[in-house]
Amino acid sequence: MSMEIKKEIYDFFAKFVYDKTGIFYPEKDYYRLDSRITTLMGHFQCETPDELFNLYVTKRNKDMEVVLIDLCTNNETYFFRDNKPFDALTKTIIPQKVAQNGYVNLWSAASSTGQEVLSIVMGLLENNPGFDLSKVKITATDISQRALKKANSFTYSSLDVQRGLPAMLLVKYFDQLPDGQWQFKSEFSKHLRYETLNLLTDNFKPNFYDVICCRNVLIYQNKENKQMIMQKLFDSIRSDGFLLMGSGESLIGTDITLTQSSVDGAMFFVKENQTWKKAA
Amino acid sequence: MKFLIVDDSNAIALMVSEMLKEMGYTSDRAVDGNDAVKKLEADNSFDFILLDWNMPNMSGIEFLKYNYENHLTETPIIMMTTENKPENIREALMFGASEYIMKPFTKDIIESKISMLNQFKKVA
Repeated sequence: MSMEIKKEIYDFFAKFVYDKTGIFYPEKDYYRLDSRITTLMGHFQCETPDELFNLYVTKRNKDMEVVLIDLCTNNETYFFRDNKPFDALTKTIIPQKVAQNGYVNLWSAASSTGQEVLSIVMGLLENNPGFDLSKVKITATDISQRALKKANSFTYSSLDVQRGLPAMLLVKYFDQLPDGQWQFKSEFSKHLRYETLNLLTDNFKPNFYDVICCRNVLIYQNKENKQMIMQKLFDSIRSDGFLLMGSGESLIGTDITLTQSSVDGAMFFVKENQTWKKAA
Repeated sequence: MKFLIVDDSNAIALMVSEMLKEMGYTSDRAVDGNDAVKKLEADNSFDFILLDWNMPNMSGIEFLKYNYENHLTETPIIMMTTENKPENIREALMFGASEYIMKPFTKDIIESKISMLNQFKKVA
């Protein structure tokens, strides 16, 4: 079925997505909005793009914003993604921080459906037998309500749990539910809670986190937004704290000064890492 | 890399061999555990074995137990089965399976498991 979408409708939704998430659709990429607009039409029972446009313009509510943000954010993730950063965090960085300070404040800033946080928890328990999880205060946030709902259920399909997760860890840390899905055991998840946060528009706790994981988020932002989010992340990291970004991400295009540091073969950005250098 | 697919289903064996081919790997096939024993006695140069659970003559778990007792091969064995209960997974791992794929699966899951085991090989 071909569907004609007027330029003013593309303009409206592109600006809407940009204002809410910072994800920028230039005109040449407007076609990427087609499937999202079609899905929205189905969700809100609109026959045409014009009808959907009129609905958004005249009766926009919070629910409509949530659905659009869910559609436009990429929740693709899997357990132990890229592997090395998890080894570095759970074998070296977090245990050393706990030894130094007694606890660690860790923030998973784009936690998506939860695999990153659960990988850290499993890594800590596997690499440090008897590790006291209460020493790691984990904040986990995402912009997508759909992702947060799944993350907070701690429940994954059999396809999800086969992506990146060794079978040995699956049977150790997950229970199989009667419907065949797998749920992270409550004894390991009881302190975890995923919450809503928009990196673009919300404020972050200043000078608070020892470790921030913010992977594969800033690649979708333009230069101005990247600078703004990086500045807020910088202000939120404590002295000698670590920032983990995606493997293809850098500080290029921002005026943020963080030191690049390789830990166990994984690249981190460190804020004023004098203590770390002395400890290493 | 060269795989031995041990599965009594022609359709599954063909699908998996096609997936492996797309990843750039070659494969041979055994129709049950007995056939796998014969193939491995003749040629033990496989990089991975993909092993179904439910097969006639010698099942996947019987093959694992045979290998556990007779040290037929040290090639990493990945179970590939509809038997997806935690007790099945634990039993297979206990008798020497290196990984476990639950059917239905997608190509990226085979890739994920191979990648995991290759990383382990590098560390070991």
